[in-house]
Amino acid sequence: MERIEKSFGENQVLIDVNFVVNAGETHALLGENGAGKSTLMKVLIGVYAADGGRIVLDGEDVTALSLRERLDRGIAMIFQELSVLPNRTVAENLFILREPHAFGWRVDARRMIADAQSLIDRYGFGLRASARVGDLGFAQRQMVEILKALSRGAKLLVMDEPTSSLTVREEETLFATVDQLKASGIGIVYISHRMADVLRLSDRISIAKDGRLIGPLLPSETSIAHIASLMSRSPESQGKLPPTERALIKRSATVRAGPPALLVSGLGTARKLSDIAFDIEAGEIVGLAGLVGSGRSTLAKAIFGLVPDATGAISVAGQTVQTANVSSAVAAKVGFVPEDRRLEGLVANRSLAENFALTNLTGLSHARGFGPMATQKIASLFARYRSDLSLLCRGPSQTAQELSGGNQQKVVFAKWLATNPKLLILDEPTSGVDINAKRDMRQLIKQMAAQGVGVLLISSELEELIELCDRTLVMAEGRITRSLERVDDEASLRALLQTDAARQVEIRSEERAA
Amino acid sequence: MTTATGHADSGRFANFARDHITYGIFALITFYFIGFAPHFASLATAGAVLRITAIVSVMAIGMTFVIVCGEIDLSVGSLASFAGMIVAMLYERDVPTFVAPAIVLVMGAFIGAVSGLLVTKIRIPSFLVTLGMLSIFSGLALTVTDTRPVPILDDTFSALFWNGSFVGVQAPICWTLALTALGYYLLHQMPFGRRIFATGGNPIAARFSGVRTDRTKIAAFVISGVTASLAGMMLAARSTAGNPSLGAGLELDVIAAVIIGGTSLFGGYGSIVGSVVGAIFIGILGFGLLVMGLSTSIQEVIKGAIIILAVSVNRR
Repeated sequence: MERIEKSFGENQVLIDVNFVVNAGETHALLGENGAGKSTLMKVLIGVYAADGGRIVLDGEDVTALSLRERLDRGIAMIFQELSVLPNRTVAENLFILREPHAFGWRVDARRMIADAQSLIDRYGFGLRASARVGDLGFAQRQMVEILKALSRGAKLLVMDEPTSSLTVREEETLFATVDQLKASGIGIVYISHRMADVLRLSDRISIAKDGRLIGPLLPSETSIAHIASLMSRSPESQGKLPPTERALIKRSATVRAGPPALLVSGLGTARKLSDIAFDIEAGEIVGLAGLVGSGRSTLAKAIFGLVPDATGAISVAGQTVQTANVSSAVAAKVGFVPEDRRLEGLVANRSLAENFALTNLTGLSHARGFGPMATQKIASLFARYRSDLSLLCRGPSQTAQELSGGNQQKVVFAKWLATNPKLLILDEPTSGVDINAKRDMRQLIKQMAAQGVGVLLISSELEELIELCDRTLVMAEGRITRSLERVDDEASLRALLQTDAARQVEIRSEERAA
Repeated sequence: MTTATGHADSGRFANFARDHITYGIFALITFYFIGFAPHFASLATAGAVLRITAIVSVMAIGMTFVIVCGEIDLSVGSLASFAGMIVAMLYERDVPTFVAPAIVLVMGAFIGAVSGLLVTKIRIPSFLVTLGMLSIFSGLALTVTDTRPVPILDDTFSALFWNGSFVGVQAPICWTLALTALGYYLLHQMPFGRRIFATGGNPIAARFSGVRTDRTKIAAFVISGVTASLAGMMLAARSTAGNPSLGAGLELDVIAAVIIGGTSLFGGYGSIVGSVVGAIFIGILGFGLLVMGLSTSIQEVIKGAIIILAVSVNRR
């Protein structure tokens, strides 16, 4: 790819990008969310047309070709969401719509299985062509997907976060697959958040940042810390918020008295979390940092009682909370602002007032839940939070789906603030909201802490953690690996996340070997 | 439909018209019958229609809770038949007048709870659970007496559920009014109703807000079971006998009434009054076609077509 340019409206997302993948090479592509790596790949496979530059495959200019034509010439992408049919066999999946026929119309099942098996064996994948795909593990389904691309003559494979759904052992299988593909002359673009994997697998590494590519680097000449520092975006490009006077709203000693807002010990789940123990003082903001898939959201859900197989001890402001019981968490005054506000936060087709009252139906009705809803009380409380959070809406009877993302998030905040929580769990509270709403939200989090609410803040924007948190916990592979009293800059935090993730993977594979 | 009140003035009329378009069709068809069907426009007709529709109305009120939750209850018709049989058999065995209906209502609640538990705990789709229940109770209604109808000789029972009247209003109409008021209060005023709407609107967000969605759904099935049993006793009182096929097929009218009334089959949106209006609409349609002298088979065809039309303009 040479000198690729791409803009959406006034927003230039790719600037003069050059990207080369040789046959038999794994070229890794790293970058923050929004740095342009997905856009670059979509330009490559033909989802988007580039505004400038050209794309050449084996000496042929494919810039003007459609997605389908590029697929025919050998550019294929393996998506995170696999598109295999679980109820059909491996062979049927491989030859879908291209089944070999006998007598002109009958599918020749025997030949199909034989052809599929020889394809599998050619690449040395350990699969049985007659196996039902639904019975396979995720890594093997991925192999089916890869084989599907190869059987159509793929020469260049784009793999987007291929390890995101895999267990540690399955990852090993995938890495072996990648090596085999390389050996048979396929070019691979490997996109991942996990630098340890990238360093191990790839021949060259490029880093997307603010629409430009840095590199390529050779893995032997770089390190996790170096890459992390390259990935950090310049403050201007993030539209960084003005530093607020932290000292002013730092919690006072008086708020700190009393039992901790949250005390967790021995918290674990069957699959994702193990041996979690930490506490949050009243009025303290504790950040939770980690890579995608490190278990942060699962931990948040487990504390709120949404993970059925969670075990361990949780207490909120001195009150014991039963695991796997949302009602118990709500009764102990835990508020939870989930990651996906449309799916998890709001009942989109109901009114704002109804959404607002949903967390406290008993308290906002007459006769403690046995009488009708106290509409007057709800209206006045809603009006208060509407002005406190500068919520923009037509009124309490507007439906939630009509609001913008930032205002929807404010409604989710409001419905929990109205319960007077002792502990607020915030999972990516400012993701996908505009810059003003973001500032309002951060201000609000500080105010809540100043009033003595303990806050557990999950955020992938490390700069947000640095600005807001009194303490930051690092999570990797379902464990808390360290607690940082102070974080100086993003690059060092990011490097810690990566090294901890790499170390945890090592520890796990050693444990299994032992 | 209450949401329409919050919209800006300019859009208010348009919204009202859109939300109530089925009421428009309803009015048109009623006027047509008044104009063209012989002797349609009379108080006697109105009373007759309301009495006929009482049974569907009562069941539709319970069904509204289930459908707003995003579920369906296909078992109401056969459960009504079964309830009618049981109440008749209880009287046959000299159970006191007021005890027998109480037992039947508790039984209806229990059967609803079983459906609800199967739907929420075993995670079988409600369509299948209640389809199974439909088969079970239509079979049981036939089996308990070996298909023999059981006469009901208790006059107080008949008066209470069908033949009597209260301050000049006939019993079935009294029941419809009482249940409409009760259902309205439960669904549109109480916290319980808020849980029902939230569960149907977005079960995940409801759960993430502390609503016990499983319990809420079970409660909705219990309500539907109770109203179906009540309707079954009204049917039995009307014919002064328990008859194993009295309620057969009623579930279709009930579901049609709820949907015509503006309740979304996908859950999260609906109204009790709408369901009752829907039931009355179906009643007027049937009665009007009857007095116009159309055969029952043609009636069914026209009824079906008009129901499809009404639902298609009221889709959410």
